[in-house]
Amino acid sequence: MTGAPEQRNVKLTSSEGTEFKVERDVAEKSVLLKNMLEDVGESDMAIPLPNVTGPILQKVIEYCIHHRDDPMPTHDDDTKKTDDIDDWDAEFCKVDQGTLYELILASNYLDIKPLLDLTCKTVANMIKGKSPEEIRKTFNIANDFTPEEEEQVKRENEWCEGR
Amino acid sequence: MPKEKDNLLGPSNSQDKQTLPIMQRPTPPEIPWVTTTNFHSLPTPAPSPQLFPPVNAEGFPPSAQEEFSRTVRMGFQNMDNLQRQRLLAELLNTCNTEQLVFVSNYISPRLKRDFLKDLPIELSLHILSFINDPKTLSRASSVSKFWRSLLNDEFTWKNLCVRHHFRRRSSAAPELPPSPTSETSSSGNNKFSYKDHFRRRYIVESNWKHGGRTLITHISPDIGVVTSLQMCQNYIIVGMDNKKIHIFDVSDGKYIKTLSGHEGGVWALQYIDEVLVSGGEVRVWDIDTAECKHILHGHTSTVRSLKMKDKTIAVSGSRDATLRVWNIKEGRLLHSLAGHQASVRCMEICGDIIVSGSYDCTARVNMVWDIVTGECLHVLQGHYSQIYSIAFDGEKIVTGSLDSTARVWSRQTGFCLGVLQGHTSLVGQLQFYESILVTGGSDGAIRIWDLDTNRCVKHIAAHDNSVTCLQFDKKRIVSGGNDGHVKLWDLETGDFIREMTTAGNAVWRLAFQETKAVVLLQREGKTVMEVLDFDAQKS
Repeated sequence: MTGAPEQRNVKLTSSEGTEFKVERDVAEKSVLLKNMLEDVGESDMAIPLPNVTGPILQKVIEYCIHHRDDPMPTHDDDTKKTDDIDDWDAEFCKVDQGTLYELILASNYLDIKPLLDLTCKTVANMIKGKSPEEIRKTFNIANDFTPEEEEQVKRENEWCEGR
Repeated sequence: MPKEKDNLLGPSNSQDKQTLPIMQRPTPPEIPWVTTTNFHSLPTPAPSPQLFPPVNAEGFPPSAQEEFSRTVRMGFQNMDNLQRQRLLAELLNTCNTEQLVFVSNYISPRLKRDFLKDLPIELSLHILSFINDPKTLSRASSVSKFWRSLLNDEFTWKNLCVRHHFRRRSSAAPELPPSPTSETSSSGNNKFSYKDHFRRRYIVESNWKHGGRTLITHISPDIGVVTSLQMCQNYIIVGMDNKKIHIFDVSDGKYIKTLSGHEGGVWALQYIDEVLVSGGEVRVWDIDTAECKHILHGHTSTVRSLKMKDKTIAVSGSRDATLRVWNIKEGRLLHSLAGHQASVRCMEICGDIIVSGSYDCTARVNMVWDIVTGECLHVLQGHYSQIYSIAFDGEKIVTGSLDSTARVWSRQTGFCLGVLQGHTSLVGQLQFYESILVTGGSDGAIRIWDLDTNRCVKHIAAHDNSVTCLQFDKKRIVSGGNDGHVKLWDLETGDFIREMTTAGNAVWRLAFQETKAVVLLQREGKTVMEVLDFDAQKS
């Protein structure tokens, strides 16, 4: 970024109308905002984000600031590993499930692939290695199978147990 | 809802039956928090027994209780966020541990989310795409009806197939034969399902690693050395040095018939599409009728190698140092290819190109012939001793020699691209696919090479004696040795996985497909054929 023209701030407005000022390169971590800024050009107008609440936008900005110097993800390094989460990211995801849920939606809406992958991996890790009952407990899901159905599901899944 | 009420109002412990949690400190009569202005000047709540009839051992009259709850709820709803938080904090401050535990247990499930159900489906599938463990996925499908329906999504299982390299079609590994188990009944609507595909492949994989069964064991009544083996879609064809060719059914391993007629040992054979060509002396058979259609005369010594280009053209290589190209439909000689100075030991065909390896006096010559013209294109010189094995993919040629090296050659230029050193004895077995070459030596070693760099990437001390046969696919190597063992190895890591069968005295030949393997070995002095099956079995 050396020698680049001074960073213009970008204004974002959350769903409640709270305004956030971020530097342009931070905002451009979001492909949605990047495209918008490219289309609109320089403008002092705040960009409304009616789908994102203030606290969630705050979190998203925190993520984008921390990762501002990361290279843009390429399409082919679609690694499906879930054990490659670094400490900062893991700490970042230590939030309640409601927040995590909103972060998934927000990163999808704002098109921030690394954040979407991070949050989805975090949920995947909450599922891994658990029994059905443990999964239900983790996400507060009611078992809505009839005993017959449950028996059938169990039979369907026998093939990979004990292998 | 009644459940909550029970919890709230039911007699808690013996400690104080009369004190109901919610009523511990009744609020002032004025309901001041409806008008937010005087909220901050709220007096410290103090007991105000006037609002409700006195509490007795039976609790409040139900109507008064309901009325009070309603008022509180309405007041709460009229507050802004900050006021609500303040009130909640105040209420919680008045709670004892037991009540706080109640609140905590009451709240914590509410803070949870059924992510997969609540998120848009493409995001739920994105989450699942990070799980590549089938056990977790199948357990997840037992969570609820919704999770079950989501986990039947083809996308997830397709992903899993890709990540486990369970491809539907591949040039290297032919598609799985029809499953002998489930699908037979529903053959009418044979819709492809990635989940079923994955399940089957997963079972097959795990059977290879630590399962499977011996489909059949044949113990030959006559003693003989097995010289050649082909396993194809329908048949297992075995050539013996005792002049016989035995044919078995690949699906159940059962014996079908024997082709007799050879005057000497059968040293090589190949089958394509109901036509079988074999040598010793070259014979063309119709497998269906077991009839010998042609005996092709011309070679003056035993045929040691034999390949078919298609149903019409076959090439034989002989101890008489020549190669002969035949029209096997008509039983006619097309070309006699002279040039080698000694026995032709091995040969391979790809397209119109034949490559052959020989014992010839210089013992280092390969010849590349064009079938149409019978012309020699290149003489590949370099080996210091006899050539015993050859492989060819149309571009690269790999030869294995008694000089304990393998060499890589260009078909186009005839140049030697690399000398692969490492074996300490004859390189008698080799197979390559794309850039992976696997060689087996009389030193008992298996080596895996990268043909892009011509370097040895794995060295496996596989057998105590010569490696007599080997085959690999994208996942595994199966090798047989003169030590009588049949061993399974991981292609990527080179790790030993297991012994495939009870060891014998020596392993003659082996072959495998996706779900089956055939091993021919000498055990307790007898010639034994075992067919192993790794397919999913009916439970």
